[in-house]
Amino acid sequence: MAGRPEGSAGAVIASRAVQIGFLISAVALWHLATVRGSVSPLLLPRPDAVLRELIDVLATGEFLGDLGVTLGELAAAFALSAAGGLAAGYLISRSRYWIEVFEPLLAGAYSIPIILFLPLYILLFGLGPASKIALGATISFFPIAMNTIAGFGSVEKIHIVAARSMGCSQYQLFRRVLVPAALPVIATGLRMGFTVALLAILGSETISSLSGLGHRIVHLAENMHMARMFAYIAFAVAIAVVLNVVATLLEERGKRS
Amino acid sequence: MRTLHSLRSPGASRLWVVLALLGVWEIAARGFVDKMFLSPPSRVFSSLDAVLRTPGVPEALVITLWELGAAFALSVALGLAIGLAVGLPRFSRRSFLPIVLLLYGMPQITILPLFILYFGIGPASKIAFGVSHGVFPVIVTVAAGVQNVKPILLLAARSMGASRAQVFRRVILPHMIPSFFAGMRFAMSATLLGVLLAELYVSSAGIGHFTTLFTQNLDPTRLLGLVALLAAMAIVLNGIVRRAEVKTGRFRSA
Amino acid sequence: MTAPGAAIRIRNVSHHFGEEGDPQRVVALRDATLEVARGELLCLIGPSGCGKSTLLNIAGGLVAPSEGTVEIGEMRVRGPLPREVAYVFQESALFPWSTVAENVKLGMLFQGVPEAEREARAESALEAVGLAEFAQHFPDQLSGGMRQRAALARALSLQTEILLMDEPFGALDEQTRMILGEDLSVLLAEHRKSIIFVTHSLGEAAFLADRVAVFSARPGTIKKIIEVDEPHPRRPAFVTSAKFHALRDELYSLLHDEIRKTVSESALARASRDGAAADAGG
Repeated sequence: MAGRPEGSAGAVIASRAVQIGFLISAVALWHLATVRGSVSPLLLPRPDAVLRELIDVLATGEFLGDLGVTLGELAAAFALSAAGGLAAGYLISRSRYWIEVFEPLLAGAYSIPIILFLPLYILLFGLGPASKIALGATISFFPIAMNTIAGFGSVEKIHIVAARSMGCSQYQLFRRVLVPAALPVIATGLRMGFTVALLAILGSETISSLSGLGHRIVHLAENMHMARMFAYIAFAVAIAVVLNVVATLLEERGKRS
Repeated sequence: MRTLHSLRSPGASRLWVVLALLGVWEIAARGFVDKMFLSPPSRVFSSLDAVLRTPGVPEALVITLWELGAAFALSVALGLAIGLAVGLPRFSRRSFLPIVLLLYGMPQITILPLFILYFGIGPASKIAFGVSHGVFPVIVTVAAGVQNVKPILLLAARSMGASRAQVFRRVILPHMIPSFFAGMRFAMSATLLGVLLAELYVSSAGIGHFTTLFTQNLDPTRLLGLVALLAAMAIVLNGIVRRAEVKTGRFRSA
Repeated sequence: MTAPGAAIRIRNVSHHFGEEGDPQRVVALRDATLEVARGELLCLIGPSGCGKSTLLNIAGGLVAPSEGTVEIGEMRVRGPLPREVAYVFQESALFPWSTVAENVKLGMLFQGVPEAEREARAESALEAVGLAEFAQHFPDQLSGGMRQRAALARALSLQTEILLMDEPFGALDEQTRMILGEDLSVLLAEHRKSIIFVTHSLGEAAFLADRVAVFSARPGTIKKIIEVDEPHPRRPAFVTSAKFHALRDELYSLLHDEIRKTVSESALARASRDGAAADAGG
């Protein structure tokens, strides 16, 4: 049939060119609007100002405090939700009946925006990291638990029967059959939980907090330090990207093993 | 309804689980946790009317509902238009879809303060943030839905003399409908998230004002009541979109 | 010059996929010349990849041939001709989101046939294939055989002179094929269309065809054209007649070697090759 074949080198180059062009024109527009145009720096800071602030933030190490808080909260929240989610998921997956009971409950609970519980957690745990950890752990519990249930629950019966017929113990069954079979799905659940925990923590830091990257951005916004705020936004996005890439790589390793 | 097995059916067990959780909550709130911080469900549900009688709360709830509706409608309309524009022409899909996906993956919470700065503390910023979240799933599912039409269907249409417009209207569009409705389901969740995040962030007006108020006044009863009402709103809205999806999902894919 | 009785005239058609020098270039068809007489059912049969489906698509104008020409009526074919040619494909080309009736009316809609006439023609087409009761059903509610009947109804409703059928019963089980084949024969006796029918099945070709064009392996050329002198509608008993068996045998002997050529790495070939290697290394 007529038409350029899908994977031709020319087409790939052309689309890359469009993407790069898009990026360049976005930045160019930004520059023009702020430097030449009449856009107030109180609304949109100049790109070079943002860059300067970013360098300053990085060079002075100012980011360390807030980054430490955020990462600490993330680590604690994820540790809690992973432990809870894996355990709960495994236990529920032991019986078809309990899977049928709990799976819709978990899915239903997850479908509500759990961020709504943030004010409750603040009431219970205060404005400090504890409430952020609690919220992060709560939200990320669900994808981990649900994927763990799915992973363990869908191990083919035939593998279990075969292993049993060769006389394996419960522990051996768990280690040699269930875990390897379930690992890919569980790895995905952990990655999803991690991503969602980060978002929950950034979100709760933004809404109501005394520290952390989210709070820093809000603080700068309230004081109209636009350039520095943009710098921190870029920084936070970069951190999120790096963390997600790491999480995805680990997930891939889990899926391949 | 199966009455004989109903006591042991998963549905009944689910009910027991929910009741058990409520029971734990009730006991914990009455016996173990200071009543400044947690309120038992019995009290929360009996005080719902107190929440609604708090001046400003019903208005805030209604405004939030309107924001959700508007943000959802805009997300769907914009998402459909952009999704078609990006997804249909092959070149467009290859160039622009990766850009869309990149933006989709960005943690938008980091620019929430910007939205408030630009759009103010009123409904506009909430709607804008909601649309910013909800538009992406629609774009992505629509763009996906207009691709992978079975080639044989396109061939059949062509062999029957269909013009390009007719192929679009009679083959590609109907093929895309299930994806579109799935996209709407995701859009509703995303819009809920965006609008509620914005509402909670703005503590000087709207829902955020009351969550802050009840928190500062150590009033867990009304706080929990407000949260419960919002959660109910979310459940209902999600349910509506899901019903719509089921009703139009008449045909299974070939 | 097109003979007065010919519906389709195919002359020296060759077709290749991929350009010169392209390592994946494939010559699908080599110098095919063929005529389909008005009102006849011509079968194309041959091994996989021999280009018979390609020739069908070229005949109907869906594909432009690399070389050669196709004429329908007095016209040179340069693109799809929905008013002259209707298709029935192998897999379900019915739109899953529309009912059977809507599917049948779709082709007419594309051609601007007015609503009332669409209804009438759809109804009679569905009657003709025996699906009148299922008009409001959706394709996924029907069996494979019924779906192909619906596809046939859609093609019939277009009231074209020519019908191009690309292994229409290929995805069906043998018993359904048998029934559909008999029904098709009855239908043709009434409607007298010019048909090119592509098939893999020797029995099907023998039963349905007025003439059978046997293809060689790729690059496909027409090896031989066999005449079948038996009027339509073909009686079911035809299948047990001596004439039928002779026809089948002839097709088999023509095809067997071509099919073997197509299945290049057969188990036997591999075994003998490996055996030779073992002997050499031994």
